[in-house]
Parts: sequence; structure tokens; C-alpha cells
Amino acid sequence: MSLSRRHFLARAGAMGMLGASGLSSSLISMPALAADTTGYKAIVCLFLFGGMDSYDAVLPYDQASYDTFAAIRPSLLNQYASNGATRDPSTLLRLNPDNASDLGGRQFALPPEMPGLHAAFESGNAAIMANVGPLLEPTTRSTIEADTARLPRQLFSHNDQQSTWMASAPEGAQFGWGGRFADLALASNANSNPLFTAMSAQGNTVWLSGEQAQQYQLSPDGPPELLALQYPPFFGVTQAEASAALEAHFRNQGVSASNLFERDVTNAMRRALDSNAQYAEAREQIAPITTQFPRGRLGDQLRAIAESISLRGVLGASRQVYFAATGGFDTHSAQATDMPGLQGRLDAAITAFTAAMAEIGASNDVTLFTASDFGRTLSINGDGTDHGWGGHQFVIGGAVNGRRIYGQMPEYELGHEQEIGNGRLIPTTSVEQFAAPLGRWFGLSESELNLALPGLSNFSGSGPGVV
Amino acid sequence: MIHSSLRPVLKIALLALTLTLAACGGGGGSGGSGSSGGGTPPPPPPPPPPSGQEYNAASKFLNQATFGPTYTEIEDLVYGSESLWLRNQFDMAPTLHVDALIAAGVANDFESFRAASDSYWAAMISGDDQLRQRMVYALSQILVISEGQTSVLAGLPLTTAHYMDILSRNAFGNYRDLLEEVTYSPAMAAYLTYLYNAKGDMETGRVPDENYAREIMQLFTIGLVELRMDGSVVTDGQGQPIETYDNTDVTGLARVFTGLGLNGPNFWPGDTAPDATYTPLEIFEFFHSDLEKSFLGTTIPAGTRASTSIDTALDTLFNHPNLAPFISRQLIQRFTTSAPSPAYINRVANVFETGSYRLPDGTVVGEGQRGDLAATLAAILMDSEARQDPATSPNDWGKVREPVLRFTHWARAFGIDGTQAWREDYLWDTSSSGSLGQHPFRAPSVFNFYRPGYVAPGTETGAAGLTAPELQIVNEASVIGFANFISVFITGETWGDNRTDTLGFHADYTAELDIADDPDALLDRLDTIFTYGTLTTATRERMREIIAGVPIDAQSPAEGRLGRVQIGVLMILTAPEYTVLR
Repeated sequence: MSLSRRHFLARAGAMGMLGASGLSSSLISMPALAADTTGYKAIVCLFLFGGMDSYDAVLPYDQASYDTFAAIRPSLLNQYASNGATRDPSTLLRLNPDNASDLGGRQFALPPEMPGLHAAFESGNAAIMANVGPLLEPTTRSTIEADTARLPRQLFSHNDQQSTWMASAPEGAQFGWGGRFADLALASNANSNPLFTAMSAQGNTVWLSGEQAQQYQLSPDGPPELLALQYPPFFGVTQAEASAALEAHFRNQGVSASNLFERDVTNAMRRALDSNAQYAEAREQIAPITTQFPRGRLGDQLRAIAESISLRGVLGASRQVYFAATGGFDTHSAQATDMPGLQGRLDAAITAFTAAMAEIGASNDVTLFTASDFGRTLSINGDGTDHGWGGHQFVIGGAVNGRRIYGQMPEYELGHEQEIGNGRLIPTTSVEQFAAPLGRWFGLSESELNLALPGLSNFSGSGPGVV
Repeated sequence: MIHSSLRPVLKIALLALTLTLAACGGGGGSGGSGSSGGGTPPPPPPPPPPSGQEYNAASKFLNQATFGPTYTEIEDLVYGSESLWLRNQFDMAPTLHVDALIAAGVANDFESFRAASDSYWAAMISGDDQLRQRMVYALSQILVISEGQTSVLAGLPLTTAHYMDILSRNAFGNYRDLLEEVTYSPAMAAYLTYLYNAKGDMETGRVPDENYAREIMQLFTIGLVELRMDGSVVTDGQGQPIETYDNTDVTGLARVFTGLGLNGPNFWPGDTAPDATYTPLEIFEFFHSDLEKSFLGTTIPAGTRASTSIDTALDTLFNHPNLAPFISRQLIQRFTTSAPSPAYINRVANVFETGSYRLPDGTVVGEGQRGDLAATLAAILMDSEARQDPATSPNDWGKVREPVLRFTHWARAFGIDGTQAWREDYLWDTSSSGSLGQHPFRAPSVFNFYRPGYVAPGTETGAAGLTAPELQIVNEASVIGFANFISVFITGETWGDNRTDTLGFHADYTAELDIADDPDALLDRLDTIFTYGTLTTATRERMREIIAGVPIDAQSPAEGRLGRVQIGVLMILTAPEYTVLR
């Protein structure tokens, strides 16, 4: 099939898709919304599935803090010692934040597997957000024990806390804040082609789901083509009319099923044929990125995202949200064996992504942040840790006000006011507060931020000035 | 397969015809026909031939209850009954894996990464115990372990096979027994990290691993919120769901699952028995918590031994009122419909409670004990909602077929020998969205391929508030991925240019090739096997046009006929009427 015809079909299909969605669009019909959509900006969410142990990612470094930490985790540190000694203070990568004076003399370090993030931090292109997590209102151990605190539902449950991070509600939530950001950008006509506003490199995710924005799935080597339409003679279909009919078959053209599931799978195939064709066409027009990414699924995802950002001009995009994810962080067991590899792969992939953004001249236009189900316990269960609540996250990119640790760095010990047993941290910064500056940087107005992050108004201040 | 003596004579004639066809290449994936009767009395006059509607009803039932029916199996059911079919399936010996794999020389190491999986492909495609294996697949998506490439179980095929055998042996048994065998399985213990889980240590503050305690409650038994028998959520005065447990229940229950190790002299890894990774775990009392264990209103006194503690804990979970609706709803989702009505859940959950179900022919399924899985499954499949005419079913009824089930249906319908799975490179791993986006026993996490509570954003089912688990793995990559994956199998391209090779997955299209000159006949047959008569006129007309457009050359007609069959099969397997089972 010729590119031009495919292009035409794709356009026609895209319009049909958007017109037929039949969903309410309250955000879209809101009057007087005008996000700033000048230039290009993208937010990348890198979700660490399983709940990353942030005590083991941003480690205590000054002697007193390290000793306290070591006394709580003796067997785990012994296992590290017999496994490359990568938690020995001499191997840790000390952080030198510009706001060291906020930390009361305490020092922190990254593990030796994260030299890239360490360099980014030191050079001012990365920051750490301390103890962030789902909250409904400012919460402490006292308010929980007095039973006066309103708490997020299903704390400590993987799937529900993932969903709460992404969409402020447990499993079953429909709209994530990435998708809301995308909706607001679309409402301000940020992108000439709305199909490529919310993009996932790792499957369907509620974070990217908006009322208008539908996520597009990136594949590591470009969009897949339907073999049967590419090579119809292979099936004995040699006549042009039959080939056209075959495409109509896959589109289920002219058929309007009443069953809702049938309608959904039909729409999914139509959308795939439309958007994949357009994306493939855009891809042919831009030279490939030369930055080498590490092998493996995370490297593949961030490479696909980098490549997609390189197409921003061809795709007519000025605002995009991206999602990538990697798992394995649920380190109940064998943490000393697994964590170094997880951190090394994470660091290598983020470092390559940063280099790729420099290559395509987008360093200041793209901000990547990490998120995770929850932090973990400070107490250990022998060779691992269990589900917690708040945790530390990284924010990376040229626009980041880096070399700083934002929020309140908790004590790395048991029994303090922001801890509810075994070192499970009560967050001091809510996800909405964390998201707000990202949205502001993305171009959203204050009223738009409150639409996209409904819980934000329960907290005072404008959130950390991380970007 | 129904025994031949129970069929009218016309059926015997039809069966003879299909057996002749099968002789050309092993058609009818289920084997074991048992048609030899010998010395039968003179036949009574034949009854009127069954209607297309009867074929369609039988096909729909088997599409729900098996890994996809063959034409022969549909015909068998037309001349039999659902009750009889179910009873035969319930009585059939289970397909088991461990012993066969050991006999075949499989070691429990990474060299044999594929072994358990290939053995399960064979069971799905060629096992006679179809209903049991479907139940195994359903249970494997509730009591999830994974031998996926990054899992601790990758490269331990016998450990996974042992778990498959547990599900297989208990598929029609009692959920309480199943829970116990799962708890003592090396596969679950390794996957949810309670293997070598030692009691806490007051001195250092070390606490037991909470992983299994949390997930056995959240995922395997009671769920997060209180449910009524119809699956609806109980709310408090503020309209908030009432949570079934909090973190103190988790830490209390975590003490129960301490002291379990592999069979051998020592708790810690070391001198284990050779078969320790595929036999039940052993209790090491010294490492079992001797503290009081308190959870869900149950208190196990300090000093209670491990086996008693575990029994009490499993009893507590099993006796929880949530269990019946929680498990019933998920099983319904695996077999018949994604967003079951409260009434349907209520009917099935009540059978789960009573443990018996009366089939239409009057026979009773189940032992009469709470948690009987055979009775529960019979109730799911024989429910009036499941058996309704798809022509008039409500528009929110049905489910997206799992990609694995679509693939196995192709294989079964066209006589694939499942034991050849190990020769197919594409089946090494089908997890990526570029292939099936799903591989049995290789979910990405204990949360399965998709969640039972998933509501797909930006869809019409989502707008209607319907849960649609399988839509969680439907996207731009996976819809194309499935069509391409099935295309290479349909055309035999997985075995490349070496078409003389008789090994691997070779489809037997004999019956379809025989009618390929008549597109309507071909479509009738495909519609019966795959879409139980639900192809819309528009879809069918277009398929007819495309099939008829493949020329059959008078000099060498074979190529054109094969093209017609292959494109017809591809189209039916990608039609929305097929993708959604309703």
C-alpha cells in the first residue's frame, strides 16, 4: 500500500475515532482554559514496579546516620558485604547538595551502581524528592494514632498504590494525572495530531489515561505492520479489490456491533491501523538516534521514547507525556543480590536517555521523574524488606533545579513522628504536590493544575520548585 | 469425547467420516475417541438431523469450557448433552507433568527452561481433560506463580510443573485443599518469598517476610474489601468500602508462614533432597515463630506449632464470608463474562457455599462441602446467563478471549499435535505484545496479566463501568501482534521453507480444503467451530468476497484452495465476533 493512501486512511480513521468516542469531555468544554503550549515540553514517568527501597537508594553517609542504619539492617549489610561490598561507606557516591544546610548536618549518598545519576545530580541536572507518596491531607503518626487522619485507601497494596500514585484512587481508577495533563494540552491545541500526546512504552497504564487523550503504545522497533495487509498474496489474495476488502475486514468497516466488548476491540484495531501507519510514516522522515542504549527492556523503552521525542516536529507535537516502567523492586527477599543489578540497569538506561536528549537538542525540554508503588520498611526480614508508604524519587533533565534534595529528609531510624512501624514512612510531600511543579513547567495554569490534581488544594504552598 | 454407544446411529456415520479425515493427518486434537464398540444391535431408525442452532449452542458451550472445540467435538456434543459432557470431563484422569518430564530426562535447570511450558502447551492443545486444564489455566491466574524470564522460578521447570500438577489434581476438588497444597509448594514459597522465612528476632528488630501473608489475603482468598454474596461491596456510613484487614493483620499472619524450607536436613539452603524443589515443603519448627499470631479476629496462642498455625490460618481465610463471591466472580470472568451480573455471582457463590450443583440431567456434581470447585464450575457453565442465545444477549455480556485461548483454538481445530510444541521456536516465550502478549504460568507479577477489577479507560465498556480484565493487554502493539503471530502459524511459516518436515505444528485443513471450492460451505463450517453462528451478515459477506476472490486454478487447484482456507481462518480468528466470546 502506498504511503499516501495509508496516510489518508489514517487521517480519516483518526477523526472517526475521536468523534465516536462518545465520552464526556468536561475538561475539554471548560471555558477559558489556556495552557502555555509554546515550544516543546515532555514529561516522562519512569515507574519502578514493586516498590523501590529508597533507604537502599539514597543511603545515609555521615557516620552517625550510617551507624544507626547499619544497626537496623545488620544481616542485609552482611549479605551486601559478601556480594561485592557495594554498601560499604567507602564505595558509596556522596551527594553534595547545594541545600546541605537544610539537612541538619546529615549526609547522603547513592550506591556505586548509580554513577550516572550521581553525576547528573552533582552537575545540577537531577534532584531528589524526599519522602513523597499518596496523601489526602498532611498526616503524621499522631494524627493516625488519634484516628483523625484521612488516609488513602488500600495502603501497602501494590496494584492499588500504583493506581493511587498514578490516578489518586485504587485499582479501577479511570484517569491519571499524566492523561489529565495531556487533556489540558490538547484543549489548548498543543498538538496538531492528538493521537500522539500520551505515549506508553510499557503497556496500558492509567497514568496516561485522560478523558480526551488516549494512549498510544510505542514498540521498541517501531510500530508493527499487519503482515496480512503487507503481503496479502501470501494468503492467495492477489486482486487489488480483495486486498482492499481485507483491510476493511480488519477495520470491521461498516459493521456496528451492539456488544460493547466487540465495539472496544474493533476500535482498538482501527486505532492501531491508523496510528501505527502515521507513526511509521513520521519515523521514516527522521534520522535514527545514534546514542547507544543498554540492552534489555528498560533500555528498549527509553530508546523508543527518545526516538519518539525526536519525531516531535514531524508529529506536530508541542506537549507530550510518556510512560516507561521496569519491575523487580519488590525485594522481599534476596535484596543484596537483586538491588545492585536493578539500580545499575536503571542508571544505565537513564544515562543513555539523558545523552540521547542532548543528541537531539531536547535536554531542557524533557523532564523525567521516577515513581514507585511505595517505599519499603527500614526493618528487614532477614534478606529483604517489606511494603512501606512514602519514598524518595528522582527528577532528571536540563530544566531541573538540580543538585538539591527537596522536601523533608526523614530520619533513617525507627520510632519517629513520620514513621508508622518498622520504618514505613508517612509521606511529607503528597504525589499531587510533587506533580504540581511538573505541570506548571508543562505550561498549565494554576486553575488547570487544580483540575488535573484534585487533591492539591488540601495542601498549602505551591509544591517543591524542582523544575 | 462422548462414548459412541450413547450416540444415535447417524452420528456413527458422521464419526466414521471424520475418522477417515483424521487418518490423513491426526485431526481432532483430543485423541482418545473410544469409538470401537463392536457387535452393536441393528440400528433404530435415525432421528431428524440436528439443526444449525443445536450446533451453534454446542459450539458456544465448548468455546467457553475448553481450549477451543474441534468440529468433531461440537458434533459429539450435539448428539450428547452438556450434563453428560461435564460428567465425563469431571471423571477424566488429570494430565500431570512432573513424572512425565522426569521420565523424559528433564532436569530442574535453566537448560530446560521450556520444559514445563511445553508440557502445558501439550495439555492445553491435546489433553483429553479439557475442562480440567481450562480450570488449571483459570486457577493459575488467581493463585499466580510465574516462571517468566526474570522470575526466581525461571529455569526451574520441575518446580513449576509440580505447581501445575497441584492445580490439575485439585481443579475439581476443594478450594481449602488447594490452598494448603499451594502453601506448601516450593513454587509459591519461592515466588512469594516465604521459603526460608525465619521467625523474627527481637534483638535486631528483624521481622518475618510479609509477602505471602499479604497476597494470600488480597489475591487468593478474601480481597481488600468486604463483599456481599453477589459480589457487591459493603460500604460504611460515609459510603466508603469496608476494608477486610489492615497492616496489623498482615504482620500477625506473617508469623504463620515462617519455618518452611525445602525437604532436607537443614532449614537453610544446602543439603536438600534431590527432589526437594518439586515435593512439598518441610516444616523446621525451630525457625517457626513461637509468638502469638493474631489476624482477622483469630488468635493463635504463643508456642503453637507450625502445622497447626498454618491449618488455623488457612481455615480462617477459607471460612471468611468473602471467599465465595471473591473466587466465584473471578472464575466467572475466566470462563464466560467479564462483568458478571450480581445475580449470576450470587448463584455461583451460593453453589460454592453448598458445594453441590444439580445438572439438567438430574445428576449432582460436588461433594456437598463448601469450596467445591467442580460444583462451582458446573454452576458457572450451566447458568442461564451463560447458556442464553447470543443473538439476544445484553450488550454488556461476554468477554474478550485471552490471546492464548485464541491460539489454542486454532491449534485444536486443525489437528495440531500439542506434544510438538517444543519444536516451535515461537512458543519459547509468547509474553511480548509482538506475539500473544500472554504466556501461561508466566504472568509479569502475582497480579496476573490483568486485574479482575480493570476498567479500560477511554473505551465504551469503561464508560459503562464494566470490568474488562483482558482489555488491559489490548493496545496498538498487541492487536497487530496477535494477528501476525496467528498468521505465521496458519500459513505454516513457523517451520520456514522446510515444508517436508513433518514435525512441529502442521495444521490439518483436510476438511476445509474439501469444501474450499464453495465459500459458503467453508464459512458455514468456520462459523460453527469458531463463532457459533454469530458472524454478522456484513462480516460474512466481506469474508465471502475475499475468499471467493482467491482464484482456484483448474490445472493446480490445491494452491488456491489452501489460500482460501488460510485467509478464511485468519479472518475468522480476527473477527470481533470471534475475539469476543459471548
